[in-house]
Amino acid sequence: MTGTTWQRLKSDPLGVGGLCVVVLFALVALCVWSGLLGQGWSEVSGERWENASSDHWFGTNLLGQDILQRTLFGTATAFEVGLIVTACSTILGTLMGALAGWYSHSWLDELVLWLKGVLDSIPFYLFAAAVAFALQGNPWAMHLAMIVTFWTTTARIIRGEVMRIKEREFIEAARAIGLPGLVTVFRHVLPNTFHILLVQGSIVFVAAINTEVILSFLGLGIQDGVSWGLMLAESSQEVLAGHFGNFAAAGGSLFLLLMGFNLLADALQDALDTRRAIR
Amino acid sequence: MNRRYITRRVLYGIPLILGVTFVSFLLMVYFGPDKTYELLGKNPTTEQISEVRRALGYDRAFLLRYGDYLRELVTLDLGLSDSSGEPVSVILKRTLPVSIALVLPGFILGNLMGLALGLLAAWYRGKWLDKLVMSASVVGMSVSFLVIIIGLQILLCTPYGLNLFPVRGWQVHDLGSYLYYVTVPTLALVLVTLGYNTRFYRAVMVEEIERDHIRTAQAYGASPRELLFRHVLKNSLIPVLTRIMFSVPFVVISGSLLLESYFGIPGIGLVTFNAITSGDQPILKAVVGLTGVLFVLALTVNDMLYSLVDPRVAKP
Amino acid sequence: MLKKIQIALLLALLILVCCGEPPATNGGKPAKVYRHAMDGAPGSLDPAQAASLYANFIVVTLDDTLYRYKYLARPYQLQPNLAAAMPEISADGLQVTIRIREDVYFMDDPAFANGKGREVKAQDFVYSIMRHFDPETRAQGAWLWQNRIEGLDRWKEQGSDYDSEVTGLRALDDHSVQITLTKPFPQLIHTLTQGYAAIVPREAVEAYGQMLSNHPVGSGPFRLASRDSARAVLTRNPDFRQQPFDLADEGYDPASQANLGLQVLQDRSPPFVDRLEFEFITEDAARWNAFTAGEVHFIKVPVSQFDNVLSQRNPVTLSPGFDGMYHFEASPESGFVYTNFNMDDERLGIHPDPEQNIRNRALRCAMVKAFDWDKRNEIFFYDIGRVFPGAIIPSVPEFDPAGDASYIQRDLKGARELLQANGWDEETLPTLEYGFPNSVTERQIFEQFRNFMMDAGYPSAKIRPMIFATYGDYQRAYSQGKVTLINSSWTMDYPDAENLMQLYYGPNSAPGSNSANYKNPEYDRLYDISAAMAESPERTENYRKMNQMLIDDCVSINGISRTLLFLWDRNAIMKPDRSFLGGYFLRFVDLAEPANTTP
Repeated sequence: MTGTTWQRLKSDPLGVGGLCVVVLFALVALCVWSGLLGQGWSEVSGERWENASSDHWFGTNLLGQDILQRTLFGTATAFEVGLIVTACSTILGTLMGALAGWYSHSWLDELVLWLKGVLDSIPFYLFAAAVAFALQGNPWAMHLAMIVTFWTTTARIIRGEVMRIKEREFIEAARAIGLPGLVTVFRHVLPNTFHILLVQGSIVFVAAINTEVILSFLGLGIQDGVSWGLMLAESSQEVLAGHFGNFAAAGGSLFLLLMGFNLLADALQDALDTRRAIR
Repeated sequence: MNRRYITRRVLYGIPLILGVTFVSFLLMVYFGPDKTYELLGKNPTTEQISEVRRALGYDRAFLLRYGDYLRELVTLDLGLSDSSGEPVSVILKRTLPVSIALVLPGFILGNLMGLALGLLAAWYRGKWLDKLVMSASVVGMSVSFLVIIIGLQILLCTPYGLNLFPVRGWQVHDLGSYLYYVTVPTLALVLVTLGYNTRFYRAVMVEEIERDHIRTAQAYGASPRELLFRHVLKNSLIPVLTRIMFSVPFVVISGSLLLESYFGIPGIGLVTFNAITSGDQPILKAVVGLTGVLFVLALTVNDMLYSLVDPRVAKP
Repeated sequence: MLKKIQIALLLALLILVCCGEPPATNGGKPAKVYRHAMDGAPGSLDPAQAASLYANFIVVTLDDTLYRYKYLARPYQLQPNLAAAMPEISADGLQVTIRIREDVYFMDDPAFANGKGREVKAQDFVYSIMRHFDPETRAQGAWLWQNRIEGLDRWKEQGSDYDSEVTGLRALDDHSVQITLTKPFPQLIHTLTQGYAAIVPREAVEAYGQMLSNHPVGSGPFRLASRDSARAVLTRNPDFRQQPFDLADEGYDPASQANLGLQVLQDRSPPFVDRLEFEFITEDAARWNAFTAGEVHFIKVPVSQFDNVLSQRNPVTLSPGFDGMYHFEASPESGFVYTNFNMDDERLGIHPDPEQNIRNRALRCAMVKAFDWDKRNEIFFYDIGRVFPGAIIPSVPEFDPAGDASYIQRDLKGARELLQANGWDEETLPTLEYGFPNSVTERQIFEQFRNFMMDAGYPSAKIRPMIFATYGDYQRAYSQGKVTLINSSWTMDYPDAENLMQLYYGPNSAPGSNSANYKNPEYDRLYDISAAMAESPERTENYRKMNQMLIDDCVSINGISRTLLFLWDRNAIMKPDRSFLGGYFLRFVDLAEPANTTP
């Protein structure tokens, strides 16, 4: 990210707001990981369905567990899923996209396009369910399902960019020096797509968090631990009896984090001027 | 559009369909849920276990089973549900109309409203109205489908809110009851798609409006109305249609999966959800296979449409 | 233009979806329609596959069994249904002869010659039982009669040819059946009340095959009009035999049942209503709303509504808002909920090294002590479940009120001491897998369990959830010994404690119903002796001894019997029942006045 980009981002108040929200949640996640927050998420510390109080800011759930603790722990879960899925699918998508773009219209390109076509043609939730079945009980089943489906968009974008960049002069020059194809891709082409990856990564992050919630709700997500999706699933059984603690805490946090990310992604797109490539 | 191009497109669809069916078969069927134990009586013997496995075809070779699956898809002979013994085709015929009736109003409304808002924002791009619409759409995009569903349910279906609509169910026999049951799911669908739709349509419209020939027409004094309908909307028809075509599988399967399992509506989403949680493979095979095939068909038709509009695409 | 097309499409669709059913009538009078809410949907309606309560409810309404339970008598008593009388049993208990009524016809169906239902004969019963031993049927009831009826298992081995005879299962003539047992089986008549033993005509099975599930043909008071995953509609079978209702014969107890209005049924022949509609509503809240809105006549009250419905727990009393508005019954389930230890798992079960074996038993017993039944009962059963030690539930006569109550009392100190004395600490305690099929409640039950164990010093990371997408996958996993802590429930198949004791009988180990894989030679010996006995003081003593073995060995954290609350409309004349798969009461349901006006 260059200095001008940072200047542009800073002058966008919505973007800065989004960044602050994301950083705040990231700090919470860090505190959970380092054992400072949310460690009592599974402990029963009160009676069932206690109202909000100074002991339990969001009240307690059916078992008497503190909803605040669970919300904090859920933040870490969201970030864990988001980071892993974003990192893996970006790396996978970049590799596939770069290969396909560099060797465009070869059998390799066709193969990647075919794979992408196949994965895009299966309804996502069914695919996730299928992966969850195939890896029965494996805690990484959900992550894998998302990585396997999310890389295709990144790959498509990178492929297009690589095909565009490889016609440029400095690549021609590299070729003339006799650098082999793949080295050229990694040394010269990919750094030029970094800004696109950054924006696309933030979009994938949002999608991953959103998807985790729905998969966990459908019972295909988190195995051990707690997530906002699991809390919403619990709340769906409670709201009709008038207990809104889980719903407010998980739904609210989810909204704030997604909002922050969406604003940040927008601001990044404007600052980096990547709108065309992403779409 | 030449014949060679069409042939090429159709041929290209075949490996895609093979891939889709293979992946879905491998994951959903071969490694998929096992119905054996649900079909066994109490205190089963190992002999009975292998009998049920044989009856379900689990003991057959992988390639044979995959071959059967392809044959079933081609002949549309989808077999009987492992749970209720009903023919899968009958189940699909019964549930598909329900799902369409459930998601169609929300789908149409979501797209029309998104189009209208997107057009409005594009027309006044950069102005406060544009900013308002765009900010609202970011808010809309940030609310999870699940939160919308539960929130609407609290607001509209419980004594804690307005308590106007049913908590769940689908007892539709006339227009009144249809509206009674469809309203909350429709609102949920509109709310979850509106933000994305608005942004998409705005982007398409901005691109069209900023094209040279529109500027020219504007300079020559074409009325805003004429500009809008003769030029902008007409030219953006293709990206709009593409989007609609590709969101159909999402709406019908993924959208209805969540809506129907939450509201207990006996459509194809609920049937699929139940098939997942009970391991009813014939239904899973049919749903995944058919949507995959339909998606590939949509892809192919869409490419052909493009080549009609823009003949350069069709060049080899 | 586009919009117009869309609107037209929408309208066309509406017309497609909105084809309502015409209101049924009964000779000019408005039809009587009884609507029943169920918390799950049935799978197959083929009697041979009627494994679930939901399927059984519908199957015993469409079809007939030879015996049933008296409608109103409690405790349950057998009553002939298609049988003309109670069976004649030989002195050695091995030969059972049953006479069958002569005025019974199957309902009209195209599967019969001329489409006219023919008479139900002894051969049909024989055929319907034999179907369970034909792999083609995918039947689920064979376990009831396996190795018990002379020649039946051999018939299967020889290829299930319906034209060859089974020596122990014969029609003597058109109206009598003779069953020859390999060993005394006092529960035989109980098994003949189940949906599995319902009688189907061979013509229909041959005509419809697997499709029989959706095209049931029987001799019951109702026939299937339609069904999907949300509801089933049954209409009156106009040709149903005359079988006048007799209060005394059904075990009517004026003292406790006078307020139900059942007297109007006297001397009339069922069915009393024109239509039975089943609404399958799995979500508790939705089912409850349907009931309070008057859309259904009956509900088993979901636990989440207990707070709302009850003003007092002991005795169970309705809140003022409900008292007098509905008929009400609170009855204990004939079953229980428990958490088994997998005794085949050497980390906490039986170990070849005797010393380790003792330590393992201490670990199990400590976990039993750490378990808090009061809290479990409070959170998940609204404090009206009945907790008891072992496997003999309070509603069977073998239950011992003076049983070892310490087994169900929480003793955290004792648990910690027991662990410490046997060298178990955070390091040495094994990592256990607690299995459950995915659902919000199952997960909450797991988290509560883990909390109980944490209180006794068990590290939370050492009790891991093992979640399965389907119940069948969960069953497969614990049948294959992959789960260490197995949370399950058991619903009795017939009112005989033998059905409980077999849960820990060695030969019934996985994949059988003994998911604990408990194998105690002494227990098995007593079971073998007692299973062939009818209820008697001697048998009771044996069963109580066996129960104590389960407690001494800490095989399972057991158990609790849930209390079921039924509410039903004051216009509905009936006494609902859910025990032993149940559903027979539906053929006697009546409505006080013509159906209500809700859609």
